[in-house]
Amino acid sequence: MTRYFYDKRVREIFWQVALLAGLAAAIVLIVRNASQNMLNAGMATGFDFLWRTSGINVPFVLTSYSPDSNILALLWVGVTNTLVITLFSVIAATLLGFVIGIARLSANKLLSGLAGAFIEFVRNVPLLFFVLFWYFGVIAALPGPRQSISLFSVAFLNNRGLIVPVATDGWAFRIAALIVVLALVAQLVIAVWAKRRRDATGAIFPVWATGLALLVAVPIIAFSIAAALSAWDVPALRGFNYRGGFVLVPEFVALFAALTTYTAGFIAEIVRGGIQSVVKGQWEAAYALGLRPNRALNLVVIPQAMRVMIPPLTSQYLNVLKNSSFGAAIAFPELVSVFVGSALTNTGQAIEIIAITLAIYLVIGLAVSGFMNWYNAKTKLVTR
Amino acid sequence: MTHLARGALGAALLAFGADAAGAQQLAPSPTLDAIRARGHVECGVHLGLPGFSFANDRGEWTGLDVDFCRAIAAAVLGDANKVRYTPTSVQQRWPVLQSGQVDLLSRNTTITFSRNVTLGVNFQGINFYEGQSFIVRTSSGAKKPADLENASICVAAGSTEERTAADFFRERNIKVTIINFQKNDDAIAAYDAGRCDSYTAGLGALAGQRIKLKTPAEHLIMTETISNDPQGPVTRWGDERWQAVVRWVLNGMIAAEYLGVTSKNVDDMRANSKSAEIRRLLGADGGFGAMLGLSNDWMFNAIKQVGNYGESYERTVGKGSPLGLERGQNQLWTRGGILFTSPFQ
Repeated sequence: MTRYFYDKRVREIFWQVALLAGLAAAIVLIVRNASQNMLNAGMATGFDFLWRTSGINVPFVLTSYSPDSNILALLWVGVTNTLVITLFSVIAATLLGFVIGIARLSANKLLSGLAGAFIEFVRNVPLLFFVLFWYFGVIAALPGPRQSISLFSVAFLNNRGLIVPVATDGWAFRIAALIVVLALVAQLVIAVWAKRRRDATGAIFPVWATGLALLVAVPIIAFSIAAALSAWDVPALRGFNYRGGFVLVPEFVALFAALTTYTAGFIAEIVRGGIQSVVKGQWEAAYALGLRPNRALNLVVIPQAMRVMIPPLTSQYLNVLKNSSFGAAIAFPELVSVFVGSALTNTGQAIEIIAITLAIYLVIGLAVSGFMNWYNAKTKLVTR
Repeated sequence: MTHLARGALGAALLAFGADAAGAQQLAPSPTLDAIRARGHVECGVHLGLPGFSFANDRGEWTGLDVDFCRAIAAAVLGDANKVRYTPTSVQQRWPVLQSGQVDLLSRNTTITFSRNVTLGVNFQGINFYEGQSFIVRTSSGAKKPADLENASICVAAGSTEERTAADFFRERNIKVTIINFQKNDDAIAAYDAGRCDSYTAGLGALAGQRIKLKTPAEHLIMTETISNDPQGPVTRWGDERWQAVVRWVLNGMIAAEYLGVTSKNVDDMRANSKSAEIRRLLGADGGFGAMLGLSNDWMFNAIKQVGNYGESYERTVGKGSPLGLERGQNQLWTRGGILFTSPFQ
């Protein structure tokens, strides 16, 4: 017996099991205690409320939700909107952040100075300020519905949003989307093939040219044809605003702009740090091989810098996900706004709703980190 | 019945009689005990709604709902100033009450079935009969809710107004866009900034919010209402004696107006009134305060320091205030309103 007691491995396992058991016991205790207390206080518990009619009007819906749907459908509206705003902001912030981060390192003093000023400003101002600044800025900059800016008499821009026509029948667009996906696959195949050939023979294939054709020209042509073949629901001024079409609400634009500019400031610094972490000798070696500065950056420096950049980029992406909840401050109907705001107060089931919300953020967050970790492992292998 | 059982019953009756002969027995009231121990009432109010609960430029809370908190403090502690206010948003109000952080909510809260039944809260009467309506820019030309076709309407998320408005327009097949803000103040600010064509809330609340707009004169409050929203003070389930205190202070303020007792004549009334009900209300007779576990001058203090319902109404939301609301439904039934009170008997 004492032999086991002195065995380091056994002791470690014992403590871990004890810790887990203690944690499980604490959770069980908390849940039981909370439900008993809520029962005593006369508060409703359970998850039945998810199937009740929501009765809430949501101004920005990408699903088939209507106020007659149940609260589960309302939750799904919130999740979709959170995912959409996060995805758009992450892509835009990454592009903007890379541009600013590289500009920060430019030999051009004006360019690097401007980039530096932007970064310092963005990193030292609270996000809530950005959100409100963009929101009231967007509303103030745009005219009222009756003075809308007309775009070819089919789309209209005013402070209620950008109102665009939608096709009443989507088959032509579905075919166009399929063509675009095929073009994307073709471009990926070409890129992989071009890289293999370059590695084998050193010959460089103009991937950007096929990219331009496949990813820009093909979608434009495909969607134009689809547009010509479709029947349209064109917005028309009736009552207070335009009726029909799809409305991109100013809340979306404001939150997107705020998240993008704010996060781009941080990403720019990550990019700068990543590039600077690559020792100068790598640049010199690349130049010695006869590579031009652009190629040296793209082929030698950035692949090595990525290794340093990916872990902090992951946390920035997770921050965007979490910061999207600032939409609640400007009534953008994301997860917190519709579920913790409207549904919680209507049903009063705080513990269930907060628990569901936390679980959803956790699942999305873990999925993002999982993907980034996979990508990180992949880049590590490439650079050894 | 066996001898043994008979003996036990006799002993129990004897013990009860001995107890009853001593002091009057009261059901325990943890809330009242806690208020006395800490020396003030914890009252949950609105974040800031002129006329109902609003901190003025000296930081003093004023308003109809605030007056009710003050009346409770006067009745329980003898001093209307012994209140600590907790400003709460639409969403915060329930957890704040349920968790025991406040003793009561007095905050423009509509009585609804599901709140009463699923939140573990009780409504203790009605201190304001409210009806939901809309505020629009006069220049829009809209006069009634049905004119709001395709309008964007700002509203506080989680309020009764959010769902009432959605139901109203859906039932009539009128398409509107409802923008749900987390706080009333955010919603009214967005309306003022031009994001919305209309903001919806109760008539009284709209009159209060209009004062906050940049140019109040350019806005019209529609007279047609789309709901009945009776509002009143709220307490948690449990502690029946405390709930009775809240209920009867409200009844007492309305009864005082009906009986003609005001903050000016309350001393005279207590000393000289011949009316049996006034004497019981003011504690000159009947020992009603003691039955609640309060001093017998509980309502005397409340009326002396805060006033009767009518005085409070006129001062905060009525003709003596910037809101200038008529009494309307919030008038005694004897004068054309629907305020009715239970007798102090």
